[in-house]
Amino acid sequence: MSKVGQWIDKRTGISGPVRSFLNYPVPKYVHNNLLYTLGGLTAISFGLQVITGIMLTFYFDPSTEGAYNSVDYITYTLPLGWLVRGLHHYGASAMVILVALHMLRTYFFSAYKKPREINWLTGVLLLFLTLAFGFTGYLLPWDQKGYWATRVGTSIAGSVPLIGATIANIMRGGAELGQSTLTRFFATHVMLLPATLALLIGVHIFQLRYHGMAPAITEKAKAQSKSFVPFFPYWVVNDAIAGLGLLALLVYISATQRAPLEFPADPTSSNFIPRPEWYFLFYYQILKYFPGGLEPVATVLIPLFIFGSMILLPFIDRGEERRPWKKPVTTIAAIFYIVVIIIFTVLAG
Amino acid sequence: MSDTQLPALPLEKGAWDEKELSRRKFLEITFWAVSGITAVGLLGTGARFLVGNSLEPTTSSWVELGKVAELPKGTVNRVNYAMKAKDAWREVTQRGALYAFSADGANYTVLDGTCTHLGCIVQWDSAENQFRCPCHSARFTREGVVVDGPPPKPLRSLQTKVENGVLMAQI
Repeated sequence: MSKVGQWIDKRTGISGPVRSFLNYPVPKYVHNNLLYTLGGLTAISFGLQVITGIMLTFYFDPSTEGAYNSVDYITYTLPLGWLVRGLHHYGASAMVILVALHMLRTYFFSAYKKPREINWLTGVLLLFLTLAFGFTGYLLPWDQKGYWATRVGTSIAGSVPLIGATIANIMRGGAELGQSTLTRFFATHVMLLPATLALLIGVHIFQLRYHGMAPAITEKAKAQSKSFVPFFPYWVVNDAIAGLGLLALLVYISATQRAPLEFPADPTSSNFIPRPEWYFLFYYQILKYFPGGLEPVATVLIPLFIFGSMILLPFIDRGEERRPWKKPVTTIAAIFYIVVIIIFTVLAG
Repeated sequence: MSDTQLPALPLEKGAWDEKELSRRKFLEITFWAVSGITAVGLLGTGARFLVGNSLEPTTSSWVELGKVAELPKGTVNRVNYAMKAKDAWREVTQRGALYAFSADGANYTVLDGTCTHLGCIVQWDSAENQFRCPCHSARFTREGVVVDGPPPKPLRSLQTKVENGVLMAQI
């Protein structure tokens, strides 16, 4: 350690915890399986959202009069504005995809089982927060898409029996979408959610480190489970390469297809067909099939069932078996969810 | 917490003050009481602050929809309104879309174009003689009654009046 390093270490005691973090023993079966980079890649995509998000706030005007023009300015006038907004816009989709894939990996490897229940639960909350990021984010340009998707989204909350109107009004900051809504969504998107998400990621990673990786499920992996490599640089390098690949992909998409900006929000428009972001489309389609008094089934019971089943999963599936091909119930349940989401997304598209 | 055994201190450092430790339980209870009171106070105040004025009842106002003479009889007319309104700390021009119909030029039905399902604006389909919602394909009659689709209620019908030849509606 250099003299400067020693000076700092004597006063902070930082080198011990850092060394312990970096030298953490990673089983070879984890290091050799790229599916385990999905968690790190999700964290990298969140980091990218934080960096590009902070950059965007330097130019974004969170007012109903100025929001649209500021986003238009960022996208079409500001040097490299197209890139920063593109990375943020497409990065959001990437983060949703990565969270989903990371959760599927965890699910199919049964990594939610005892004693890792809390880690699974923080993961479910992180998924929920990621979707909340998407929902609060696409109103901010104050364009037709954001305005109408938010109107529909808050109306969904409004259809909850008894307390729906109160919830919807608190979300919007009033009975109608307006300045209060934009300010609320902006504050939630750039302050509340990042702080909560960062805190939860900390808990999530602490839990991972506390329990270690979930046991291997294949014979080949089990054979490697007694052999370890240090977290740095062995695992980190995989994440770094995957992260660079993700960044390159996002730069390419941002360069070839500008992040979309519809016409400015128009509350009188009847020819604009509101459509949420692709990851909410399946749910938007499901809402079609529950008429009249059955509406709360779609707006309350289905989301409660989906999130409730995810939360209860580690407490229901408590057997020792971890191999998905030997656990037909959980495997078929996951495939059912995936197929339903794909079918309704296609129907809405 | 206080029943947790404290680890022995290294000899060169010294020892726990046994006399002070007798107050450990009391201090813990005090800490949790003070923290609890502070947390409840902060949460209550914070929640009230964040709810703000969002639950205030909306006030109704009369808006002008156009001259009666210029609204064709027997057909559904889409009319947009604009009025000065207060949006939080901003003075804004609030705009909206309504549909006006009159068979005889004397009695008017004015419907709020907001779909009662999830808030999209319905379109008048003159060929089908129905309102259609672009979001989930709901259909309403000319009077706003649900014919098909998920809306739980009919379109909102507004009070109307004619003043100096101008049709007005209460939104």
